[in-house]
Amino acid sequence: MDTIQIEAGSFRDPAGKIFYKDNKVFRVLEKEGIKRFKFLKNSGLLNDLIQKEFLIECKEISDGEMSFENFKENKIIEHKKLDYISYPYEWSFEQLKDAAIHHLNFHIYLLKKGATLIDSSAFNIQFDAYKPIFIDLLSIKEYEDGEYWIAHRQFCENFLNPLILKSIKNIDYNNWFKGNLEGIATKDLNSILSFKDKLSYNIFTQVVMLDYFDNKVIKSKNFDINKINKKKFPKNSFLSMLKNLKNFILNLDIKKNKTTWDDYSKNNTYKNNEEILKKKIVKDFSEKYKFNILADLGCNDGVYSEISLNSGSNFVVGFDYDLNAVNNAFRLSKKNKLNFLPLYFDASNPSSNLGWYQKERKGFLERTEFNGMLSLAFEHHLTIGKNIPLYQVIEWLVSTAPRGLIEFVPKNDETIKKMIILKGDIFPDYNEENFRKILENKSKIISTTNISESGRKIFEYSKI
Amino acid sequence: MKKSCLFLSFAIYFILISKSYAYIDPGTGSMILQAILGFIAAALATLSFYWSKFKTFINKLFKKNKKSGHNSN
Repeated sequence: MDTIQIEAGSFRDPAGKIFYKDNKVFRVLEKEGIKRFKFLKNSGLLNDLIQKEFLIECKEISDGEMSFENFKENKIIEHKKLDYISYPYEWSFEQLKDAAIHHLNFHIYLLKKGATLIDSSAFNIQFDAYKPIFIDLLSIKEYEDGEYWIAHRQFCENFLNPLILKSIKNIDYNNWFKGNLEGIATKDLNSILSFKDKLSYNIFTQVVMLDYFDNKVIKSKNFDINKINKKKFPKNSFLSMLKNLKNFILNLDIKKNKTTWDDYSKNNTYKNNEEILKKKIVKDFSEKYKFNILADLGCNDGVYSEISLNSGSNFVVGFDYDLNAVNNAFRLSKKNKLNFLPLYFDASNPSSNLGWYQKERKGFLERTEFNGMLSLAFEHHLTIGKNIPLYQVIEWLVSTAPRGLIEFVPKNDETIKKMIILKGDIFPDYNEENFRKILENKSKIISTTNISESGRKIFEYSKI
Repeated sequence: MKKSCLFLSFAIYFILISKSYAYIDPGTGSMILQAILGFIAAALATLSFYWSKFKTFINKLFKKNKKSGHNSN
């Protein structure tokens, strides 16, 4: 009997859906999907797009190669399995910008080759470490002369509007996007932008005019869409619209505003020798276990993730709630070509199951099984910063992976002293003794290393 | 530059419109926009075609005048 698992989030396009078997990713194609696939294959585009790293690797499963009880009559494609699936609301500005540029470059290339995209969902782009890649084979179809860019609005809401929001208004889109999985609505963005902001050709046409026509359609009782549909949208105009958007997005940037943690690895309360010791502990830990996939909770700009990768870890997913830090970590990953994917993440409100049936987008722990975790200078932000009971924090931390390093920060440390100046010491149970007791109760403590004069300690735990 | 001039002529009117919040077909407003942008792009292409023809004509005219001027010297 087949033990297949259908991807709950793969339902929007009836032409096919994703399923998993034996830790592999497959796509089953229905009649319309087979038509689109044949076009791609016969035109030679499929191999071309994979070779040019626009599209994720796809392998056609030939008859008799594998048997799937449920899909005997269908065509099956196998895709390369990515180390970690991420969502646009977890991406920093530069990640979303890179994803948008990849999408536009891909669409421009397709149009030139006589194909087009039927949607512009940012969820169809994934990061293979630092490289964006298009994952939805069935979004590609043959271009018909004069057809419109049907997914233009989706592109605006998923890519353009969030980028404008951050770049022009310095408003982070992440939590907004997480709250509305369709992205940032054009009418909302138009309400926020000032008169001066709107005096830009692209903002004016892509936001102001688009919102205007939406309103016009709502108000017009006798509006006939067929009148527009009959008129052709010339391919050159289509191409110039895509190129224009690409140039506009390339020039969008974030305003420089310093956040608490964006230069933490350079400016922190550690002394030089203490930092060297901490790095050595991460190095030894990674060399010892050579993790397939490791979670770095509170990864900051990725310094310890990089050490872990250089010491035997295969892939690291970094999590941090400071978007500037995530942006810096992403730059590091790109610059040094690391198997490192940093993501925005608020541990006190982590990415959970969202969307239709609460199954469309998965929580951060449900997308993979981490073999190891790093939690360096992190737990006190939850216990002291967010008043979460110590035992709950430890319980949660050790639930992320069977092995890990947890740094305990004592109350007399400068960082905690600053944190409790205003709120006062309302944490009588927060001490090393209790920390150790709870950790011992939840796992086995392998080692404890003192790393600072203030008494910071790194505990290695194991549940295996 | 050409784009800036064209869009500025519409800008004030569009910026000052009121908003409504009902559900609409997700593609309709976008299609109208594309039809207009397509039209503007075509108009600009035509304009630039005739503009370059006009410039060539003027250049030729001046060159001729210059040549005839040189000849008379």
